[in-house]
Amino acid sequence: LSKVGSKHVLQTVCALEAVILRTFGPEGGQVLFTRDNGHSMLSRSGTRILTALRLDHPLARMMVECVWKHSGKTGDGSKSFILLVASLLRTIYTAASKDPNGSQVYNSREAAASAAARRLADQMLAFALEKLDDLIALSVTPYGLNLSAEVLTASAQSSSNSDGVHVETLLASFFRTRLGCAHCDFMGELVCKMLRHWSRKNDECSPSDKIGSFQRSSFLNDNFPALHTPLSGFPVTCSRLIEGQIIHRDYATHYHGNHQHPVKAVVFTMSLQPKWLNAGDMLEIGSGPHGKSIMHFSAWAESSLEHIFATLKTLGVSLLLSAVKQSEAVLTLATRAEMCVVECVDEDELALFLHLSGVTAVSDYRGIRPGHIASLAFCRPMLLGAHRYVHVGYPDSKGTQPCSVIICGLGEGQTDQYAGAVQDVIRTLRTTWEPLGASVISPGCVIPAGGTFEFLLHHALLQHGRSQQIIINLRILRLEYIFKKKKKRWDRWQKSLRKLRNAHHTPLRNIPQVDWERVSAVIECKRCSEVHLYVNNHVRKLSNSSEKRCSLLSTTSVNVAIVLPAQPHLRWTDAKWNRVLWSDESTFQLVLGSCGHCVLQAKEENNHLESYRSNVQKP
Amino acid sequence: MSRLVGKSPALCTDLPLENSDILNKLHLLGQLLRSCFGPSGRLKHIHNNIGGQVVTTSTSSVLLPAIYSSTPFLNLILASIRNHVSRLGDCGLFAAILCVTLIEKVKQSGLRQNEAIRINKHLLGLCTTYLEDKECGCKVKLDFSSSHNLIKLVRNILCSKPATMLREYETLHISKLAVEAFLLTVPSNSNGVVTLGMTVIVPIEGLPVMESKVFPGLLVDVPVGFEDLEPRNQPCSPLRVVLFSTSLAGHLSEIGDGPIEVQYGTDMDSQILDQLLEIGKQVFKDNVKICVCQKVIHPVLQQFLRSHGVIVVERVGINLMQPLVQLTGAQPLATLHSTIPHKAYGQVGNVTLRQFGSKSMLHLYPAEESVICTTVLCHRNETILNELKVACQKTEHVLRLTLREPFALLGGGCTETHLAAYIRHQVRCDAAGSASVFGCLQTEYLLGVEAFCSSLESVAAALQHDSEDSLIDLTCAHHWTLPKDVTQEDMESCERKCGCGLIKMSQTKKWCHLNTKYPVFSPASLSPDVTVHADVLDSFTAKLNALQVAIETVNVVLDIRYTIQDVN
Repeated sequence: LSKVGSKHVLQTVCALEAVILRTFGPEGGQVLFTRDNGHSMLSRSGTRILTALRLDHPLARMMVECVWKHSGKTGDGSKSFILLVASLLRTIYTAASKDPNGSQVYNSREAAASAAARRLADQMLAFALEKLDDLIALSVTPYGLNLSAEVLTASAQSSSNSDGVHVETLLASFFRTRLGCAHCDFMGELVCKMLRHWSRKNDECSPSDKIGSFQRSSFLNDNFPALHTPLSGFPVTCSRLIEGQIIHRDYATHYHGNHQHPVKAVVFTMSLQPKWLNAGDMLEIGSGPHGKSIMHFSAWAESSLEHIFATLKTLGVSLLLSAVKQSEAVLTLATRAEMCVVECVDEDELALFLHLSGVTAVSDYRGIRPGHIASLAFCRPMLLGAHRYVHVGYPDSKGTQPCSVIICGLGEGQTDQYAGAVQDVIRTLRTTWEPLGASVISPGCVIPAGGTFEFLLHHALLQHGRSQQIIINLRILRLEYIFKKKKKRWDRWQKSLRKLRNAHHTPLRNIPQVDWERVSAVIECKRCSEVHLYVNNHVRKLSNSSEKRCSLLSTTSVNVAIVLPAQPHLRWTDAKWNRVLWSDESTFQLVLGSCGHCVLQAKEENNHLESYRSNVQKP
Repeated sequence: MSRLVGKSPALCTDLPLENSDILNKLHLLGQLLRSCFGPSGRLKHIHNNIGGQVVTTSTSSVLLPAIYSSTPFLNLILASIRNHVSRLGDCGLFAAILCVTLIEKVKQSGLRQNEAIRINKHLLGLCTTYLEDKECGCKVKLDFSSSHNLIKLVRNILCSKPATMLREYETLHISKLAVEAFLLTVPSNSNGVVTLGMTVIVPIEGLPVMESKVFPGLLVDVPVGFEDLEPRNQPCSPLRVVLFSTSLAGHLSEIGDGPIEVQYGTDMDSQILDQLLEIGKQVFKDNVKICVCQKVIHPVLQQFLRSHGVIVVERVGINLMQPLVQLTGAQPLATLHSTIPHKAYGQVGNVTLRQFGSKSMLHLYPAEESVICTTVLCHRNETILNELKVACQKTEHVLRLTLREPFALLGGGCTETHLAAYIRHQVRCDAAGSASVFGCLQTEYLLGVEAFCSSLESVAAALQHDSEDSLIDLTCAHHWTLPKDVTQEDMESCERKCGCGLIKMSQTKKWCHLNTKYPVFSPASLSPDVTVHADVLDSFTAKLNALQVAIETVNVVLDIRYTIQDVN
């Protein structure tokens, strides 16, 4: 079991490090991915690169999972995360192999080294948990600067606050490491302008208020998918802000261009003409004076629709936004009533629309009230590239200036990259301003980049008299760096370290009823790289007894176990599978002919009556 | 039947620009694109490996989607050029050739990638500022009061598509048609927001090109059994039109999927049909002459309407609905029960039957002035007709772009050589200052500039495919092509013109071969009244965007350090 340890852990992490290193720092470059469906993706973001790799090794997957969780919260720091883990492991193993203490107790040198490594890691973890916070607060925080949100207010263009660092610097340096030197200033300015536009909303409270900034960036982060429009085929410098919101759908009706002012809009979440014959109901059709013709029902459905439009007309509505597709009859009646219809609007966009206009969606078309009616400054079609969208503007009230951003790029890969970077920078800002209850670090604290944090901490640790040297790759040359993000990274790193330790050592011995000798025998006969770890038990093939073992395992705190890859063992019997605990294959690809709709039908059923639907075609 | 498919690990390439295999492929791609460029470009046959249709083309919008490389690196370049072409319509090959050449030149110069990116970006900035400047020497202001420049612009686009197989007079004819169609789609009286109309292209195979025509209004396929429409000679009052967007075949799509119990002796179909005939009666009563339906009309209803003298057109499809609404002003109907209000009806001026070879079509004239028109394109066979259709769509696109920016650039390679000379001149003025801004040596900076300018020049030189020389004159920096054996004396005596046809041989004294060292000079720009006589013009918007896209693609490509290819 000890073979899972040392060498392989290091190898795996170093392999990840090799990919990351090419993109690290301001002089780093991009990574070009081509997916199996032929789409290409460009990226310098550590998280995106790592998650796009198809990794086999369970340790590598676990690392990527940690990185993903970390950057999902902070928006940045994934590359340094990997570098930090790699250099830590390297240091630990080097130190452990030199450690002379263990040699009497353990049989082999490897076992001794691995035990020493584990001991070191334990010590480091304990140290990190107990003392690191204080150490950082004591020796690094004083060098930090306060991130001033002042530049975001409309009036304070001049740098009145000289000791604060402006958001612009932070943004530009972030984009420099994320998008390259060519467009970092441009994108930084663009995002700054965007923040400035949105910050006018909270003009009443203090503009540099950190809570306000935090809320604002949270709002932007949550609504970013609805706030940006990718546009490929143009140079990046064509990216721009645009007033109001872009709804990424075209008019379903012909746009006549003469809305009244203000434009009154209603949001529907259901079809205005629902199917009136449900599966549970029965429609009886007859003829003559007693029975009712089918057209009677159809006419009834249509007249109720007309009634809705009469109500809408009295309310002065001229724009209908719908989350679902509406019937042709709805479009006809809307055209007749000089209303425009936009169908199939995305949920996120509708939510943002409702938030910004301050109304609620109509869920029951019988009760349309004035409270459902939003008034807009304008509503017009907008041609962006190959698509025609609907551009809505909100009336100027309370200094609100909602705006969305059009992100141009050469291709889809590039617009995605830029949009991802913008969202990440917003997330980073949110993390910076996030208020923390009992933390030693105040919100808005940033530290000069370029390895300052690493140097300071290194120095502090040496001072502290501990011998674990945190040797950090000093190729970092960032200009600005966020302090608290680093703090978060530490926390994450501790967790992953804990996991790693669990993985390469044998905490599983405590579990009852597991025949460990047999399991290890199976493992021994395979190469270690084929030994897979698994967290969730997705595997169907596990038979009863092993499922029991799994549940046993999950009740204990350890959720890591070992099994062989399933593919070479397709023909295994249940008895054989009983000897196995888990498999790591989380996705099974079943190929059933060509993808798409298919009808399963026997050949002789071809002309069966049930295979037909009665429709009137040509008599 | 199921099988498990194993996933193979991804294919990784470290530092792809150092990889000789990739560089070879890049070079090959460059050669391929260069051979297609310009009026004398070589045609390409495209067919897939399982047989199928063979396409003959040299147009970027057909060629680029057909090229697929196994190297993601090249696909990135192709994809960004494709995106440019789909947005702007023109100058795709220009962008592609410039991009590939610049990558190669930067590679040869041995510059560090980050520096090359910065220098390229700076030089691109110089170019765009110069091109957008009023004093720019290679820009022509388009004059909408005469159609000459517009026709020249269109003709240049058509000329650069040799696969259309047009003769000189045919090119002129099609250019005139394209400009006419464009002018028809611009509304003459607009208040505030201008909405352009649209041109519907109807390709007809087998007729000579000179039969191509532009019609105001729309041409729709003639319904079966309606070939004997009597021609209405004198235009009378407009005809009333009704437009249905729903099927009139008797479906009730909005019912739902519950069971229906039908009493004995009841015919549900005839109940629906009765309702359809009710609509028919109302349509007839309201004096409607033409009934158009997007989908299918029930044959009984068709019969009823025809017997009452209504022209029935069914299955026009969703694509024609928008122009039909714009042409007639009708509101598309989808209700079966409510009475049709009068304002829902539209109007057409007249209806005639038109015969094109064996194909007859119904021509709907606009009642008033309309922004909808139809271009009928004729050509000898399908392959060249397709190419002509693509070219015409491009011309429409380019003409629309001129409304946004009413400029054109000198064609024939003159813009490229002029820009290169301008940049060399600008750079000489403050090389030391700029170099220090980028944090690189002055020699490095000059290397970057040389790579940039010489790739611009080699794009101009790529216009030449036969054994002719490409030259640049040392006063205006225009592009000249000359046969190999011409001496200096011959040049001064003969009456040749430069690439764009702006300058005559006699106007300049000194020439130099392209891609050789020539003394740096400030290219003279001609006075604005002279520039009107340029023969070959390029779209300003498209070319500017192409330049930006090309340089930006180069920058992205230079920035790539690692490629990972999922080969599953």
